[in-house]
Amino acid sequence: MNVRRRPPRRSAPEATPPKRPRAPRPSAGARLGRWRDHHLYGLLSSLGRLAVRPLATVLTVTVLGVALALPLLLQAALDNLRAFSGGLREAREITVFLDPDVGAAAAAEIAAGWRGRPDVAEVIVRTPEQGLAEFRQLSGFSEAIGVLDSNPLPSVLVVAPAGAAADGSDGALIAAIEADRRVDLVQHDAAWRRRLTAIMTLGERAAIALAALFGLATLLVVGNTVRLDVQSRAEEIAIMQLMGASDGFVRRPFLYAGLWYGLLGAVVAILIALAMHLALRDPLAQLIASYGGQLTVRGVAPTALLATLAGGAALGWLGAWIASTRQLRRTA
Amino acid sequence: MIRFEQVAKRYPGGHDALIDLSFTVAAGEMVFVTGHSGAGKSTLLKLLSLVERPTRGSVHVDDVDLARVRRRRVPQVRRGIGMVFQDHRLLMDRSVFDNVALPLVIAGAPRAEAAKRVRAALDKVGLLAREKAAPTLLSAGEQQRVGIARAIVGKPPLIIADEPTGNLDPQLSVGIMQLFAEFAQVGTACWSPATTCT
Ligand SMILES: Nc1ncnc2c1ncn2[C@@H]1O[C@H](COP(=O)(O)OP(=O)(O)OP(=O)(O)O)[C@@H](O)[C@H]1O
Ligand SMILES: [Mg+2]
Repeated sequence: MNVRRRPPRRSAPEATPPKRPRAPRPSAGARLGRWRDHHLYGLLSSLGRLAVRPLATVLTVTVLGVALALPLLLQAALDNLRAFSGGLREAREITVFLDPDVGAAAAAEIAAGWRGRPDVAEVIVRTPEQGLAEFRQLSGFSEAIGVLDSNPLPSVLVVAPAGAAADGSDGALIAAIEADRRVDLVQHDAAWRRRLTAIMTLGERAAIALAALFGLATLLVVGNTVRLDVQSRAEEIAIMQLMGASDGFVRRPFLYAGLWYGLLGAVVAILIALAMHLALRDPLAQLIASYGGQLTVRGVAPTALLATLAGGAALGWLGAWIASTRQLRRTA
Repeated sequence: MIRFEQVAKRYPGGHDALIDLSFTVAAGEMVFVTGHSGAGKSTLLKLLSLVERPTRGSVHVDDVDLARVRRRRVPQVRRGIGMVFQDHRLLMDRSVFDNVALPLVIAGAPRAEAAKRVRAALDKVGLLAREKAAPTLLSAGEQQRVGIARAIVGKPPLIIADEPTGNLDPQLSVGIMQLFAEFAQVGTACWSPATTCT
């Protein structure tokens, strides 16, 4: 191999040191413009990449949407359950059925005695006559009651415990009432409420665990999609690197693509959640009404929607960052 | 501007592409490297553009020891070199215009100015009319010229061209060589290996 040279036509470069002057540092405005241009480039080419393969993009986004919708739906279900159980929690009354042979006067006496207790806020007496009237109002019973020659119902005392009692603190009161010999039967919601609280706690934990699990799935789906994209663009990346593109420049379109995947996935998740809400709202409202509840069915909370959008975008960006950085380390 | 000192390059597998190569090129000089196929001409260019690192010896460009350039700094060095590749290396899914604009986009040049310079570069290689075409539709020689326009568009201080006239007819070759010579005149060291050259 030999090197042939054409001598410089000018003598100047030999005489003066051939070092070229350092380019002056660009102004802040110019740097901002370049930063904006680089991001615009990344943004546009990322959109181009998604649009080139619409079917693959739709599939990826749908998978992400389903993955992100599940925690969102569970969250909405928990919100409804919490509102429902809150309504139940207010109903703390203890219903006390007295022995049938305890008369109205004795019932009033017992009620007065309990009202004196510090842990009792109010005692309402329901006489057998009131009970019978209540039954009569329920359709289908009035005729049956008509054939009775005497009132078979006992006196009922409805005890409202005092104070903002936490679970189980009504226990002493309930025990005291049950100990009374004139009491036939005590009904209260404490056990049911305790169970409901346990279910709620379990549900909240499950929601967190599921959100983490599906967040990981989002990360993996975006990461794998971007990894394949980087691999299929190996030649393009190599050319850009030869032209002096930094890792940041090469990576930016992939990061934006990850961001779009995550955001679009979140939008699909929200659409799924809204569709589920529309589909389930009426039957659920009927179910609640049949329990005598007056709760309206809640949709997905706006904060949950925002969290899904932000989480989807962040996970998409992170997944793309991990995948593209790993691939770039390998080429370089 | 360029200084090779006892450079040797042995590729993995034990093949010696370059053995004990020393030479210097001053700024403003235009140099042709000739040699048989497989002599190591492309390898020389890969050492300059930091695609490969020498096994022994040192390469200086502009008094910068390339061995000391860390991975993060490599893009900066490459932005100072206009490269024409033996195999063109164009982005086949972008237009001719976008291909030529790539170095300017990477450097972050303002868009209006970039468009002007891209058209000027395309004009110089006689492809102004094809700016919207896809590179796949161009002939080999036209692709080669797109690569040349891309190398000169950023007005880099150093141009290295690997057989830039390999696919061109003699008349076009002369035109391209004149183009490089112009660059050399304005103080650009131009470095152009070719098996066939005048
Ligand atoms: N990545 C590589 N790994 C192993 N050997 C290589 C590699 N690249 C080049 N070589 C070998 O190094 C030698 C020099 O290659 P190079 O590409 O520099 O030749 P060249 O002078 O450009 O040839 P041509 O005129 O055919 O382009 C060749 O024998 C080639 O087989
Ligand atoms: Mg070669």
